[in-house]
Order: sequence, then structure tokens, then C-alpha cells
Amino acid sequence: MEDITHIPQLTLQLFGFDLVFNTYTILMTWIVMAALIIFAFLATRKVAFVPNLFQVVGEMFVSTFYGLTRDALDDALAKKYFPIICSLFMFLVLSNWMGTFPKLEEPTKDLNTPLGLGLLGFFIAHYAGIKAKGFKKYAKEYCEPMFFMAPLNVIGELSKVVSISFRLYGNMVGGAIIILVVSHLIYSLILPPFLLCFFNLFIGTIQAFVFTMLTLVYISVQVK
Amino acid sequence: MPFDIQTVVSIASYGGAGICMGLGAVGAALGVGYTGGLANKALSQKPEASGTIVKNMLIGQAIAESAAIFALVIAVLLIYLSPPATNLLTASALGAAGLCMGFGAIGSGVGSGFPAGEVCLAIVRQPAISGRLTTNMLIGSAVCQTPAIFAMVVALMLMFLNVNNLSVNPTWAALLGAGLSTGLAAIGSGLGGGLAGGASVSGIARQPETFGKVTTIMLVGQAVSQTPAIFGLLVSFILMFKAFPETTSIAAPMALLGAGISMGFGGIGPGIGNGFTAQSAVKWVARNVEASGILTRVMLVGQAVSQSTAIYAMVVSLVLIFVV
Repeated sequence: MEDITHIPQLTLQLFGFDLVFNTYTILMTWIVMAALIIFAFLATRKVAFVPNLFQVVGEMFVSTFYGLTRDALDDALAKKYFPIICSLFMFLVLSNWMGTFPKLEEPTKDLNTPLGLGLLGFFIAHYAGIKAKGFKKYAKEYCEPMFFMAPLNVIGELSKVVSISFRLYGNMVGGAIIILVVSHLIYSLILPPFLLCFFNLFIGTIQAFVFTMLTLVYISVQVK
Repeated sequence: MPFDIQTVVSIASYGGAGICMGLGAVGAALGVGYTGGLANKALSQKPEASGTIVKNMLIGQAIAESAAIFALVIAVLLIYLSPPATNLLTASALGAAGLCMGFGAIGSGVGSGFPAGEVCLAIVRQPAISGRLTTNMLIGSAVCQTPAIFAMVVALMLMFLNVNNLSVNPTWAALLGAGLSTGLAAIGSGLGGGLAGGASVSGIARQPETFGKVTTIMLVGQAVSQTPAIFGLLVSFILMFKAFPETTSIAAPMALLGAGISMGFGGIGPGIGNGFTAQSAVKWVARNVEASGILTRVMLVGQAVSQSTAIYAMVVSLVLIFVV
């Protein structure tokens, strides 16, 4: 149980403050980013009428997520926010698949990753809301239906960050714990690879999609 | 009869195993029965499609039963895994693990019965796209299991928690509260997610070309229905991993137990309510796919209002933990 919840850390002393780095999470995040950059390079290196494999996959991502973004926002906003939505999904899906490979771990299994991405989505949504409606109208929405409801509305907005990040974290850690316990019970015979496929590939993809779509609809609710 | 610590721990683990499997069997049985019922209805309407219908019924029932299998795993672990007991906290943790998984399996079991049942009727309506319907049902039912998975995670954490250096008096209540919080809150979320999944399968049968949009809104609706269970998980984590100072008073443990009960019961209603909202939104997106943007937004706003009661429960829980 300890090796699931334990995260290797590196602490640096700087001006009297402790700087803590979760080394393994950072390393895994870098691996995911490097893989995405290489993929982007391969997909766009030789753009041709008869596309190569990487271009096909890249076009699939772009057309699917551009369609989804355009449905949720209008055309002008979709052009602006589509890149972050698409790259968020690509990052998350690759992160969730990482644990399938030996020696690698999902960066999303460390609560800091989903929480950081959740906060990112939160700030983008509220920035988009203020920009689209103006600060006065944006602030007025917190005072509905009555002005004394404002604190609860603020808590409601903050709880969105909690729910979106804990949903991803809970699913990934849950899968890891269940795989660990079942492998231990049946001495790692037959079942664990199937469980790994189910929790990492299937649930991981669905949860990455859910995280992306929720970020998108939070933006859309703020804008409209 | 002497009551030493080992005896109390055994009582708790056997009692916990009984509660876990007993309650865990309720939901899955209801879901599986519902699926079987709708499969019969489907067969009476189109007996010649019996092969596909029975196959889908069995797949759906197998997924609906996985919540009960989670409960079985926890119950077996509770019976056979006898940890060396050094203090009474082990007893409390094992009992709480049983309660958590038992309650937590109810909602997901019933909930994943809805998509499994609807897929049988949907195949009667659209036999040509049965593969697509099965895929949608699988996604819907699998996401339905998330609250049960959360309950299983909390139950396993409670069982393997290192309790040696913790203070006995308030922590026994904190562990019980942690079990109740996730376990009870998972009931509503599991049920709610199932309602959305069922509506999505029947919606796709009505208009197969809306597959992508209906699946997307179903996933978003189910995800938001699960928010109360996530709040329950958060309260459980705080109760399990916060260190509480030793005390002799009875008020401090009651506050911690109350925190768990508040979040647990407070999460049931919003989970089901969000499920109703998601069910209707999915149903109407399938009938009027051009309006999917506005329907998604209104669904989220409606769910946010329905969710506010879960937020009140969470605020009361956090006040009970940190302030009282």
C-alpha cells in the first residue's frame, strides 16, 4: 500500500523556503511531453495529400476536437480555445496510458498533476468569462438568486476544481490499488494484464475525455 | 468470555464482511433483475433477434454484477486477512471498510442495470447497429462503476492503514466516518450515472447518427452526477489522513463521525437528482441534436444548482472536522 501513495521527493533549501520536487512525476511528465513533441514533429514534417500514419492520427485528433469545441463555443472562440482543449486531451490520454508500460508510471496518479490542470482550466474559464461579459456582469452572476448567496456560489465554483481533479486522481489511483491487491491475491496470474488494459487504456481514455470535455463546458458556461 | 483486543478485531472483521457482502448484493441483484426483465420484453417483441439480445443481456449483467464482485473481494479479504492487532483502531478500520464497500456497491449495481436493460430494447428498434449500441452500453455501465471503485479504494485504504501511532479516542470515529462518507455518497452517484447511461442507449437507438454527441453528453452528465461521490471521497481522505490529538471527551469523536454521516447522506440526493437532469438532457439531445450546445449548458447549470445541497453537506463536514 505504501508504494502506491509514496511519491519520491527532492527537497531544496532556497532563501529559507523548502522547494519540493516530486521527481518521478516530473520525469514522467517530461517523457509524455517529449513523446507529444516528437509526434507533432512527425505528423507535420511532410504534410502531403496522401498522408503518412502520423498525419492521419493528427488530423483525426484535430478534426474531432475542433468539432467538439465548435459545438460548445462559437466559431471565433473555438479557434482561440481549440488548441488548449486538444493538447489537454492528448497530454492526459498519454499520461493515463503510461502505467501500461513497465517501469513507467502515470503522472496523473500524483494528485498535483490533475489539481494543477484543474486550476489551469478554472482560470482559463474565468478569464474567458470576464473577457466575454465584462467584469461587472461577471461579478453580478455570483449574487444570484440573492446577494447573500455569494459565498456559497464562490464555494460552488471552487468545488468544480476539487471535483474535476479528484475524479481523475481517484480513478487512476483506484485502478492502481485494485491491480496491486488483485495481483497480490492471485500471485500475478493471468488477470493483471486484463485489469491493466481495462483501468489504464479504457478508463484512462474515458477519464481523459471527461476531463477535457468538462474543462470545455466550464468555459462555455462562463462565456454564454 | 474474555474480550481482548484480538477478539474485538475479529468481531469487527467478521461483522464487516457480513455487512459488506449483504449490502453489496442488494444493488447488483436489482440491476441484473431489471436487465433480465427488459430482455424478456425485447424478446417478446422480436424473437428472431434472440441471439443478439441474450448476448447483450449477459454482457450487461456481467458488468452490473461487478459491484457485487468488488464487495465479495473486500468481504473475503476481511475474513481471511487477519492483521496483527495492536490497538482497537484496527477493529474500527475493518468495520468501516465493510460498511463503505457494502453501501458503495448499492448505487452502481442498480445504476449499471439501466443501460444494460435499455440496450436489449434498443436492439429491437435498431438491430443493424447492435455493435454500436453495445459499445455505448459498455462505456455507460463502466463509468457507472466509478463510485463503487471509489468505495473499494477507501475500503482497501482503511484495511491497510497503519494505525499504530494514531490516537485511539477521536480516530476510531474518524475511520468510521471515512467509511460512511464515501459509502453512502456513492449510492446516489451510482444510480444517477445509470439513469444517464440508459437514456443514452435508447436515444442512439432512436437516431443512430447522433452517436458521438449523445455519448459525449452522457459522459459529461455522468461525470457531474459523480461529483457527490467525489466530495465523499475527499472527506474520507481528510478523515483518514489527518492526525487528531488524543482526547478523553466524547464530543470530538462524535463531531468526526457526524462529518462522515453528513457528507454521506448529503451526497445521496444530489447524485440521483443530477442523474435525472442528465437523463433528460441526453434524451432530448438524441431527439433534437442541433440544440446540443444549449442543452449541455442548461444541464450543467441545473446540475450545479442541484449540487449545491451536496456542497452544503461538505461545508458542514469540513466545519465539523476543522472548526469544532
